[in-house]
Amino acid sequence: MDILKIENVTKSFANHVALDDVSLTIPEGSIYGLLGPNGAGKTTLLRIINRITTPNSGRVLFCGKEISAEDIYNIGYMPEERGLYKKMKVGEQAVFFARLKGMSRKDATAKLKEWFGKFGIEDWWNREIGELSKGMAQKVQFITTVLHEPKLLIFDEPFSGFDPINANMLKSEILALRDKGTTIIFSTHNMSSVEEVCDHITLIDKSRNILSGNVDEIRHKHGANIFEISYRGNEEALNGALAGICEIMESKSSLAGYNTMKIHIATDAQVRNVIDKANSSVEIRSFSEVIPSMNDIFIRAVNGNL
Amino acid sequence: MKSKIGIIIGREFNERVRKKSFIITTLLTPLLMLGLLVAPMLLSTYSGDEQKKIAVVDDSNIIGAHLQSTDEINFIETELPIEIARKEHLEEFAILHIGKDIMSNPSDIRLYTNSTASITMEMNIATQVKMVIENIKLQQQDIENLPAIIASIQTEVNMQSFANDTSEDSGDKANSSIVATVIAYLLSFILYMFILLYGSMVMQSVIEEKNSRVLEVMVSSVRPMEMMMGKILGVASVALLQIAIWLVIILGAGYFIIPELIPDEVAMAVAMLQQGASPETLNTDTDMSLLQAIATLTDVGYLAKIVVSLVVFMTGGFLLYAALFAAVGSAVDTPQDAQQLQTPITIPIILSLFVMLSVINDPGSDLAFWFSMIPLTSPIVMMARIPYDIPTWEILVSLGILVATFIATAWAAGKIYRTGILMHGSKPSFKELWKWLRFK
Repeated sequence: MDILKIENVTKSFANHVALDDVSLTIPEGSIYGLLGPNGAGKTTLLRIINRITTPNSGRVLFCGKEISAEDIYNIGYMPEERGLYKKMKVGEQAVFFARLKGMSRKDATAKLKEWFGKFGIEDWWNREIGELSKGMAQKVQFITTVLHEPKLLIFDEPFSGFDPINANMLKSEILALRDKGTTIIFSTHNMSSVEEVCDHITLIDKSRNILSGNVDEIRHKHGANIFEISYRGNEEALNGALAGICEIMESKSSLAGYNTMKIHIATDAQVRNVIDKANSSVEIRSFSEVIPSMNDIFIRAVNGNL
Repeated sequence: MKSKIGIIIGREFNERVRKKSFIITTLLTPLLMLGLLVAPMLLSTYSGDEQKKIAVVDDSNIIGAHLQSTDEINFIETELPIEIARKEHLEEFAILHIGKDIMSNPSDIRLYTNSTASITMEMNIATQVKMVIENIKLQQQDIENLPAIIASIQTEVNMQSFANDTSEDSGDKANSSIVATVIAYLLSFILYMFILLYGSMVMQSVIEEKNSRVLEVMVSSVRPMEMMMGKILGVASVALLQIAIWLVIILGAGYFIIPELIPDEVAMAVAMLQQGASPETLNTDTDMSLLQAIATLTDVGYLAKIVVSLVVFMTGGFLLYAALFAAVGSAVDTPQDAQQLQTPITIPIILSLFVMLSVINDPGSDLAFWFSMIPLTSPIVMMARIPYDIPTWEILVSLGILVATFIATAWAAGKIYRTGILMHGSKPSFKELWKWLRFK
């Protein structure tokens, strides 16, 4: 079942179009990455999902129905720049935000104590946010976002500003929430986190959805028929054997005699032929397809080379 | 969606009321005001001890003997000629030289001061000399029984003023215009301060929330209009609490202290005056205007009317201006950027203060009437008129206009706010604000 469906959403501001006919579907229980260069329209899309702004045209469907004010109780949103009152005490502040999301004061306090315990930050309860470091404040913000156990969590650049240890902790919390059935959308520039965490992605560039789908499928689909051969033997011999049937992109040899060569094979039909030729000239240790990283795909897509 | 406005009001109220600065200003301001009242009295009592010595060189040989030393001035006659006296009497505060021809030429008198003389002191000396000369001239007319005649001529007028209200059965109530003036001044000034202070507090706090992106987190769960109204009402309740505490302190102190200060005989006279007794029947030698002032100040009905009007007009005026301040705050990123946009808001506030000064002299004038109807100036100007018993319908009409304007303003401000809180970067122009206002 799809928890969120965005249909032909267009949003324009006075001077520019922020989203141009964007459609995407987010399956329930998945982690969905929203990628794109700065200014592509990611934050605008997240704001539309949160009903902060309304689109000029198009629809947003939440659990199959047009999204309504009531649905915000089922959504948690953490904006890119952290929004907390600097002069307010951590505990009171968290209770305040929880109550705005419809929780009672009592429930909120009990749940918060639980989360604070989990993160080992119980003694922050009576401190002001202004006294905490940026990373510490982000932990608090994360807790206030997930506290009311929404079905859908939306994080705008969740990893920015976290040190590697806390970023890892955040990652594992996100995965744990997914395992409990929560659907998570996050926007990011951090491509390695996309590969590690995301099930699906959408790439937005210049206000348009230019690429959508399952991460593994996308990577395989956009594999560019590049292969890597590692072998023992004479580099010249391999060069000679492969000449004419494929393009040699890169060749490395080591003193220990373990050499690698990257090649581009024009058509799938040629793959067996290439292996045959190579096998007869050198001793092959491995032959594998090079699957592009999301980073490569991102850059190629944005440059229009996909 | 259930309204969250209560939660927001609660937060605004709690955060502000618990601040040390709030507690301190709330408790210290009445003390400070009391100090401002008492200090001049104390100062004058103490400075009275310092009597200034003035050496008098009297070439006319007429005036000098009649000059009377007072608490402030001690006249010492000297036989020295003026040139020497000016060199010798450097210890004294000043040397007064009365010329030979003073009787025919009133300008023939000079004061040489060794330090700066105050205007009151110069006036004091001049008046004394003038009276002495006049008396001597009168005596030279050779009128019989002169002192008796003068005594019988001297009169003091005690005029009482009443509100001309024939419908009331209780008789004419004396009201003191001195008290009304003081109260009018005080109240309209308090109103001015509160609107400006608490209004810009709303603006500051919107800017802060916008910068810290708190608004962005909140806007997903609360409607912008509720956020804005919650903030305004939260701050308004803080302002009302402060006023309430002040009133309790002032009225409480008045309730316990005033009866202690007033002699029984005066209190009786005041009570009779309040019940509508005409002044002639009162057997008292206390100054009539003082009696009236006390009567007005201790009139519960009058005070209640003032307090209720203060609360109502302060709330109305604050809500109106706070909505405007909130709209400005939502449109900018820094308080510096707000300067230009808030000018059109502060102008009517300051204008009301100027109008108020003229209204106090003539609360019934056309100027006073119209400015107490125009919604942006009405809270402060009306507050300056209410102590002078103006018709109730005027107060109600003014209040009605104020409430209607507030509703319209809040609606418009809400539209600007809704767009403004998500806009970062450049400072918008008035033209852009107008565009935001018309967004669907």
